[in-house]
Amino acid sequence: MELHSDETLWYFFKKGEVNAFSLLFKKYYPQLHVYGIKLSNAPSLTEDCLQNFFIQLYEDREKKGTIKNLKAYLFVSFKRRLIKQLQKNQKNIPISEAQFFKSNFTFSTEEIAIHQEIQFLCTTTLSQLINQLSPRQKEVIYLKYYSNMNSKDIAEVMDMNYQSVLNVLQKALSKLRLASENQQLKSILKKS
Amino acid sequence: MDNTNKFDLQYFLSDMSFKNWAKGLNKNDIAYWNSWVQHNPKHIETVENAKAIVVGINFKPQFLSNEKVDQELSKILPKIGLKTSTKQPLTKTRPLNKTIYFSAAAIVLILLSWTSLSLLNDHNTITHKTNFGEIIDLKLPDGTSVVLNGNSEIFYEKDNPRLINLKGEAYFKVKSIPSTNAKFWVTTNDLKVEVLGTQFHVNTREQKTNVVLDEGSIHLEFKNGDVTKMIPGEMVSFSNKSNEVVHKKVTVETPYALWRGGTYAFNEIPLKDVMLNLELTYGLEVRYSSDHLKDIPISGGIPNQNLKICIAAIEKATGTRIINKGNILQVQENPIY
Repeated sequence: MELHSDETLWYFFKKGEVNAFSLLFKKYYPQLHVYGIKLSNAPSLTEDCLQNFFIQLYEDREKKGTIKNLKAYLFVSFKRRLIKQLQKNQKNIPISEAQFFKSNFTFSTEEIAIHQEIQFLCTTTLSQLINQLSPRQKEVIYLKYYSNMNSKDIAEVMDMNYQSVLNVLQKALSKLRLASENQQLKSILKKS
Repeated sequence: MDNTNKFDLQYFLSDMSFKNWAKGLNKNDIAYWNSWVQHNPKHIETVENAKAIVVGINFKPQFLSNEKVDQELSKILPKIGLKTSTKQPLTKTRPLNKTIYFSAAAIVLILLSWTSLSLLNDHNTITHKTNFGEIIDLKLPDGTSVVLNGNSEIFYEKDNPRLINLKGEAYFKVKSIPSTNAKFWVTTNDLKVEVLGTQFHVNTREQKTNVVLDEGSIHLEFKNGDVTKMIPGEMVSFSNKSNEVVHKKVTVETPYALWRGGTYAFNEIPLKDVMLNLELTYGLEVRYSSDHLKDIPISGGIPNQNLKICIAAIEKATGTRIINKGNILQVQENPIY
């Protein structure tokens, strides 16, 4: 069970309590860290950006109102900040957000555990399959199953409506299912 | 009637029992949905898609180690002018943790033994009442959830489901309606709680009303006209009879009852206070063969939905013997101990 609810953490964070700051940092730093690296593919830039993000969050705490959904709020504002930073660094080559993330959001074999349902797929194949999805599908998959975010929060972070989140998830997963069925067929054929 | 549109992805995904079925978790749910699928073959594709979303992909997140996070934290704290928490005395850390723990573990106590309300006879009034030892979950027409403890009652007018009267003890999870900023009120004999969307406890037993706030913020208007605001983790207690107000932060030391989950949780609470809970929820009278028995402390969780088990648990915890004679509980020393 979660000991510290986000509402409570945020309440004490806003009051400037050092313990609340530490707890919030410990809870969200690792998650935002992975998210940032997945987005940017640039670990040291992500870390700098994340530091400044927390500093600013603390400094502006009094300006911020009650935040209904802390997790989604942190993900979305950190993402914005990271994109801004990336754009700044590459001022000379103007590129769109979509282009930024095209090659990113890759999942390694170590990050994937195998379900009973698709046991015939090895983690290597599954990670390959996931990495072939569109960037948007990968990000939704990431937020849903890696960061354990609910679909409503994902809609907020991705700036989509709830129904489209479900659609993206459904499409991505049926793509995976189809691909894994093909794999299964192939492996059966090979054996015979 | 054509229900085809009703059974979309969202329908399945918002159903807890469906999720259990998809994950193979609960026997009843598995049986239910297996037969549902058999009888509704035309929805099989949506069901399969929804199941795939629930099952999803199993990741093994590669998060940073705690050491690395601590290291990053110690880099950042001086920059914002905060001292590292490790240098602070332990006592400084504990109150916060306790407060947080307490408010996370939603607690509500309400005690009010005599309330006379005139609205009762109105046929437009909807009443929900629980018997001794019964706990019910209610969903009000506006989407607000209420957990009503034993021997308690709420009622409201049909046209106004966001104006609730309460006798006894209940936990409210109020559905906020941002579009209209519609408020929600709970009225007791002693005060009125005004809410936008939040989670809180109200307890009107013992001729006073206790309110514990878990989430959000609420206004209280006492019967004497005074007004106060509450923040999460606070408890306010007011008695109209004695005009006494207590407004404090809730701590673990405060006796409270986690009755919603069907368990009373006690932390070093004297037996007499524990028995008082039973008197109120089951409508019993408790007698003691000797006064010193009243002060035996109890810690731990006691199941409260079955009086027999409850009594057996208390006997075990205190080493006493409790005899149930009609509506009287006789507490006496256990000769074996």
